[in-house]
Amino acid sequence: MRLYEFEGKGLFKKFRIPVAESYLARTPDEVYEAVGRMSTRVVLKSQVLIGGRGKAGGIKFAGGANEARTVARELFKLKIRGYKVDSILLEPMLEIKQEYYLGVTLDRANYKLVVIASGEGGVDIEETAEKHPEKIVRKSFSIHEDLYTFDALDIAKKIGIPQELIKDGAAIVQGLYKMFKAYDAKLVEINPLVLTGDNKLLAADARVSLDDDALFRHPDLKEMDIEMRHEEGEMTPREKQATEWGIPYLDLGGDIGMFPGGAGFGIMGNDFISYFGGKVANFMDSGGGPSPERIAKMLVLLDENPNVAAIFGARFGGISRCDDFAKGVIMFLKDHGLSKPMVMRMTGNMWQEGVRLFEEEKEKNPELFKNVEAHGIETPIEEISKRAVELAKARSGGAK
Amino acid sequence: MAILCDKNSKVMVQGITGGAGKFHTERMLEYGTRIVGGTSPGKGGQFVCEKPAFDTVAECVEQTGADVSIIFLPARFVKEATIEAIRAGIKFVVVVPEHIPIHDMLHVREDAVKAGATVIGGNTAGVMTPGEVNLGIMPDIAFAPGRVGTVSRSGSITYYVADTLTRTGYGETTCVGLGGDPVLGSTFDEILWKFEEDDKTKAVVMCGEIGGVYEERATDTITKMKTPVLAMIGGITAPPGKRMGHAGAIVEGKMGTAQEKLDMLTEAGAHPCRTFLDIPETLKKLGV
Repeated sequence: MRLYEFEGKGLFKKFRIPVAESYLARTPDEVYEAVGRMSTRVVLKSQVLIGGRGKAGGIKFAGGANEARTVARELFKLKIRGYKVDSILLEPMLEIKQEYYLGVTLDRANYKLVVIASGEGGVDIEETAEKHPEKIVRKSFSIHEDLYTFDALDIAKKIGIPQELIKDGAAIVQGLYKMFKAYDAKLVEINPLVLTGDNKLLAADARVSLDDDALFRHPDLKEMDIEMRHEEGEMTPREKQATEWGIPYLDLGGDIGMFPGGAGFGIMGNDFISYFGGKVANFMDSGGGPSPERIAKMLVLLDENPNVAAIFGARFGGISRCDDFAKGVIMFLKDHGLSKPMVMRMTGNMWQEGVRLFEEEKEKNPELFKNVEAHGIETPIEEISKRAVELAKARSGGAK
Repeated sequence: MAILCDKNSKVMVQGITGGAGKFHTERMLEYGTRIVGGTSPGKGGQFVCEKPAFDTVAECVEQTGADVSIIFLPARFVKEATIEAIRAGIKFVVVVPEHIPIHDMLHVREDAVKAGATVIGGNTAGVMTPGEVNLGIMPDIAFAPGRVGTVSRSGSITYYVADTLTRTGYGETTCVGLGGDPVLGSTFDEILWKFEEDDKTKAVVMCGEIGGVYEERATDTITKMKTPVLAMIGGITAPPGKRMGHAGAIVEGKMGTAQEKLDMLTEAGAHPCRTFLDIPETLKKLGV
């Protein structure tokens, strides 16, 4: 879960990482009011969950309350790489003598925490790392380790923090590391850490990403109004609907509706369709052990999508049982009805029961299955993929 | 031979009295897995499928001689449960639950490395040595004893690959699910090397996917291996910047795109496959 800058800075304060005095405003009038209370020129920073806002025009300066309100009106209309601006952080404009970079992140391949620092902040650190690796300081730590003062001092020195501020710099490094561990972070980043005209170190920005799976350990975040949020900038109506239903779903623009089991084949199945000359309409993931209701909802999303010409179903049941899968499909056929051709393959755990449920229902109600071609383990999934491409082509009639 | 577990493995189930624990204990027993007992704190003395439950792993190990453990517990208990198993002397732990906190897995990994234990998962379908042990949630129907090993991030991909190998007569030595979580107990290179050291395994199929970091780590190992490696990567056609399903399958800029992974593995000597049906064809060409 990514945090907004103002939320990240709220956490910084807990770890004694210095930040500028600031106000959060959600309307142009709130901006007007807040700036009235500030005596200097101000910077207006759009709060969005994505980087690159400066380049996108999301950061502006203003001299007084009136000007700030006018600027804010424009910022609130802005969309930054698909993200709407809902709030603006107001800070006094700083005189900056030097910008540093400081971050803590995970090195997943080596199972370490890594502190990354550089004397050249304010820019894309990945670019610096690639072009000038010598300008980057890296230190790895095991999750059991603390970051001691001597290491922090060493990092602060290596990135060129002035001698008289070296202890302040080290304290920021240690604070950031502590915060990373305390909040189950994936990334905490100060870019830039600035040296101000009056010789102070301040975190001028905050980029924080926490582990969704560990949020249960941090109920205090809720008290700070930091709650799970959806991080995609813009969602299509179907993506919104799927999110409400708790189904990972993406619209991808083609005409073959993907109705897979788990994410593994959900991802690879899309490749197969491409190899056989088709284009998928979506990515979807049933999750492990989906209920029949969830299976039915997955089909609703596809059947109601006007771009979908045919549906490709694949269930290889492991923890997800074929009987539940069959129940879900039947529930959908009965309650909603299938208006598009569907070819599917069902095998794996409890497949016999799944097949029995299908046969039973089909005997009672053959009409329900008129658009369904159901296969089992005897047909390779490649054949099913090809068939889905054929069905979609036949229905779209090459109109696309 | 097989890797990680075979018919002699004495398996215990952590969370044996829970819904998933019970259901899969029964299934694993049906397959012939030698389950000797399990744990469920506070429920020591109870029985599941006639197997004894204990309060702690140490008790279970002492009384039953268990040497492999499989975990069916909610994610938040996995760190402690895994470390408990490792410290009780278990050398192989399978973590089935998904969404294990990342920092927890870092702790687990350190303990495992220190003790010389192997942990796989979280979010793994487990390990299958066909005809001997079904350790996890994999569907029996896909598997048959044979001569090819598999290692995959995703459960369903493991089933498709095994199904293809079974159907074409190659069969499998052992099939390993690495897991779909972002930080995993074991990595491709470690499992590949175990296959390299196994006489019965004549080739290995490795299936990765878009995002994550573990495929890249495998290249050095593949270079050193005599056993041929076939590689498949899911997500070749996925649009960049989109998050797909598995917590691990996130493309971060250029990092971890499927094509790059496949190119890197191919350069290291792996044989790339696009669909499952390419696998038997490649094996045939290699004379496996």
